[in-house]
Amino acid sequence: MDAVSLIPAPDAIPVHWFWLHLLLTLTTFLHFIAMNIMLGTGFIAFTSPFWRGNNVMPLNAHIAKTLPYTIAFTINLGVAPLLFLQVLYGQFLYTSSILMAVYWLSIVGLLIITYYAAYIYRLMDNRGGMAHLYIGAAVLLLLGISFLFSNNVSIMQMPESWIKYFSDRTGWLLNFSDAALIPRYLHFIASAVAIGGLAIALYFEIRKRRGATDGEEWIKLGCKWFTVTTIINFGIGFWFLGALPESAYNPSTPGGKIFFILVVGSVATIIPSVASAQTGRIFAATFWALATVLLMTLARDILRLTYLKPFFNLSDLPYVPQYSSFIVFLAAFVFGIYLVGWMLKTVWNSKEVA
Amino acid sequence: MNYPVWQLEFLGGGFLIAVIAIIHVYIAQFAVGGGLFLVLTEHLARRRNDQGMLDFVRRHTKFFLLLTMVAGALTGVGIWFTISLLNPAATSVLIHTFVFAWGTEWTFFVIEIVSLFIYYYTFDRLSKRDHLIIGWIYFGAAWMSLFVINGIIDFMLTPGAWIENNSFWSGFFNPTFWPALFFRTFFSIIIAGLFGFMTASFLRDKKLRTTMLRYCAKWLLVPFILFLGASWWYRAALPPHIEVIIFQKMPQLRPFITLFMVCSSLLILGGLVMAIRMPSGLSRSMAAVMLVIGLMYFGAFEFLREGGRRPYIIYDYMYSNAILKKDMDLVAETGVLTQAKWIEHRRVTPYNVQAAGKELFNLLCLSCHSVGGPLNDIRQQIRMSSPEELNLIFATMGRERPYMPPFAGNEFEKQVLINFLNTSMRK
Repeated sequence: MDAVSLIPAPDAIPVHWFWLHLLLTLTTFLHFIAMNIMLGTGFIAFTSPFWRGNNVMPLNAHIAKTLPYTIAFTINLGVAPLLFLQVLYGQFLYTSSILMAVYWLSIVGLLIITYYAAYIYRLMDNRGGMAHLYIGAAVLLLLGISFLFSNNVSIMQMPESWIKYFSDRTGWLLNFSDAALIPRYLHFIASAVAIGGLAIALYFEIRKRRGATDGEEWIKLGCKWFTVTTIINFGIGFWFLGALPESAYNPSTPGGKIFFILVVGSVATIIPSVASAQTGRIFAATFWALATVLLMTLARDILRLTYLKPFFNLSDLPYVPQYSSFIVFLAAFVFGIYLVGWMLKTVWNSKEVA
Repeated sequence: MNYPVWQLEFLGGGFLIAVIAIIHVYIAQFAVGGGLFLVLTEHLARRRNDQGMLDFVRRHTKFFLLLTMVAGALTGVGIWFTISLLNPAATSVLIHTFVFAWGTEWTFFVIEIVSLFIYYYTFDRLSKRDHLIIGWIYFGAAWMSLFVINGIIDFMLTPGAWIENNSFWSGFFNPTFWPALFFRTFFSIIIAGLFGFMTASFLRDKKLRTTMLRYCAKWLLVPFILFLGASWWYRAALPPHIEVIIFQKMPQLRPFITLFMVCSSLLILGGLVMAIRMPSGLSRSMAAVMLVIGLMYFGAFEFLREGGRRPYIIYDYMYSNAILKKDMDLVAETGVLTQAKWIEHRRVTPYNVQAAGKELFNLLCLSCHSVGGPLNDIRQQIRMSSPEELNLIFATMGRERPYMPPFAGNEFEKQVLINFLNTSMRK
């Protein structure tokens, strides 16, 4: 059976695909930042006590306090890219989700358990003992959920694998035949741990500038996690690159050329980031790390287009313009930014009473 | 026809989506009405300078945060995941038509999260004025989320002029938009009272407990009158054929109509009982029972609304089995096995007749029927009908049985499907 014949016909988009892709990339970038902080800091909180014992508990108290926020924002900021992904690539995403339906739907239940585990961890006074089990459960579930997301992306990008549906229509398919699946997954996890480390350093750096004196040790620890995991991730990144189809980075094609430039660019931005972290310049390290995440987000977009090129081009999407709702959305978006900014400013400027 | 079918047999027939949707909508409506409850109760506590009441607001906010932010938000994602698995074609229409409505709703969701976190964690940190403003911002964003989602949900029931002009605004401000908005708004306030009972019944101070339970009873009883008015308006706004389907043609919906009526009375009665001074154990049990009645009440309404859409998933546009109304004649002429993309047995032979029958069943029936499951069990319905009666059902689908789509395939496919049902589902 020909994979092309299985690809569902897409519905019409109401604005030019460029706008939808811009929103997809922007919101994916924001989601990645939140996700990296959530998974990375959770991972560090879970693993650090294994070799640093109870000395790390003051740090874990801070992570416990912030973890429910980062989970909430990761989920919230994941909704928007999932929306725009469905508009542009729905015919691929719905199909891949159905093929792994049981796993895909289980994400909701797993996330609820993760979220409550993180809240229990926050509400417990002692971060050792049972509390360690809760953060461990939350982190392991998040790692599992990430793996399921990687699988969905893999199936979505490889319509040639869809034929497996005819041997199992009950939603229990994963895509282990994709050589890039495991390195892609590990690349994302390692990135999350690295950014999580940097987020810890940044958090305590901001506290230090506001007068706190308890953070020097954690700034160093965060930077160490960031540096070591980033170096490890170079190796995983090369493994990932090697597992990709040659067309992905072939400089003779426009997509391959752009992907190559973005990968080189992300290496060029992560080096000053690590160097800044090593010399204690946390804000500079954060700036360069964010640039790296943005470049990797763009590289991921290009990679998806390359994978789907034999089957689909964005310009193939039927287009029936209706811009009025887009304008309303933009107005709501700007208004939302203003309101959130006002609320955060109000809290920032307030003096703690109790 | 366009997408693969997830072969969900036992939990099919709408059971999975019904469970997730009812739980989500109940919590999500609490997230709206509860927001108003928090900020107005805080206003009252501060005006009266009542520290006990303010502490109650703080504790209730914690409960509210843990319930709406975690279970509420994630079951919302759950509905989205579920509908895209069970009816990807309809989901795709909703997403593509209303992408910027969803996007706008998401911006309000961001505002909700930020404001709720700030509201809960800054009772002692912000000035009274700023804290109350944050509370109002939360409620405003939550209600705007309801406003936007309401347009999309009711579009599925009454798409109105969108069918002809495909305009975003015609679909969004559809014929039942306004009555449904008032209906859901008043119901969300009632739910705020129901959840208020729950936390108020745990108060240790007897006097404060009685005060707060009576206060919550007002939240239940006062909007109830407005809610009943909005229900009447909602019913009146339904196109006549939908009203006929709900109230006359679908015997399966009668228990839900009865349940809705009975729960209305129980909620009013329960609200009055809760205002009576009771021992804490009894008031806690009563509060839990009232919450369950509220859930059943809303569940009954959701079943009626979903039932009224039959045989469509998007009224007058797409049938429950994802076949577009405009394509029905073409599919009937050329055959389902020819038109559908995800088909293994396009040619039926004596060797694959059962497998082809199963593919037809998956495509045409599985969206509404479970296999051995709690909702619309096909096995049970086949066993209750003789082969002749089964033939009659197929002959009357879409006409005397207006809640079922007309049979979409050609005559040969009809016989293949009937054969499959008689041989595989009659066991």
